[in-house]
Amino acid sequence: MTQKTLAVTVTHAFKLPAERVFDAWLDIKLARKWFFATDGGDMVVAELDPRVGGGFRFTDNRDGQEVEHVGEYLEITRPTRIVFSFCLPAFNPKPDIVMVEISPTAEGCILTLTHTMAAEYEEYTDRTQEGWTKMLQRLATFL
Amino acid sequence: MVDYLILVLILNHMVKYISDRLDATFSALADPTRRGMLAKLSLGEKTVSELAEPYAMSLAAASKHIKKLETAGLVRREVKGRTHYCHLNAKAMAEAHAWMDYYTRFWTGRLDALEEALMANVESKEGSQ
Repeated sequence: MTQKTLAVTVTHAFKLPAERVFDAWLDIKLARKWFFATDGGDMVVAELDPRVGGGFRFTDNRDGQEVEHVGEYLEITRPTRIVFSFCLPAFNPKPDIVMVEISPTAEGCILTLTHTMAAEYEEYTDRTQEGWTKMLQRLATFL
Repeated sequence: MVDYLILVLILNHMVKYISDRLDATFSALADPTRRGMLAKLSLGEKTVSELAEPYAMSLAAASKHIKKLETAGLVRREVKGRTHYCHLNAKAMAEAHAWMDYYTRFWTGRLDALEEALMANVESKEGSQ
């Protein structure tokens, strides 16, 4: 039976060396400003343990609502690759997988991020449609 | 519906949708017989023989087409007694796209914010020199 998963891929070119872009993911002083942050939100909890098997927790407070993101680093290869799992415990404890790949270019580097829904898609369609839609609506309000 | 399902966006940051499901969907939709079957199903559930009927094809041939639609997640099959009833699963596709839309926008925003944070860092370092 084919694994039915969903994934999105986003790329971004930077005019900075790969090492700088790589380190921004694992340096708490930088990461707390952008990783799981929202514009206008307040990052009230920002913790990360930058090693394979280490965890992270980022809680963003927006308009009084706190959204907690929890994850684990699965692979750390400086400066080319970071793989981590994460979930929003309040919405769904089953984690997704994110793979970040950074390659040097003449101008700096290019980052490719692939976010894969770890659960088989079928599992989501089997849940009450309402629950799924509500989850997405709540997620959308934190965009 | 075809445009909606074969959506590919090229923005500054080269956002791209990738999905095993979408690949299967694209191949499922590439065939006019299957598109016709989907159109019929949009009117309500149909049996396999009802779907085969306008094409003068065997039930086995129709079943193969339906199987491709099932693999793409566009159709669900329900067995009642000896009869197989097919249903459109448009809602599942809509939900998949909602998930993909959400996270595409989310990560595009996060990478923009990453760049901002790095550039601010660069500027403050240069300023202090």
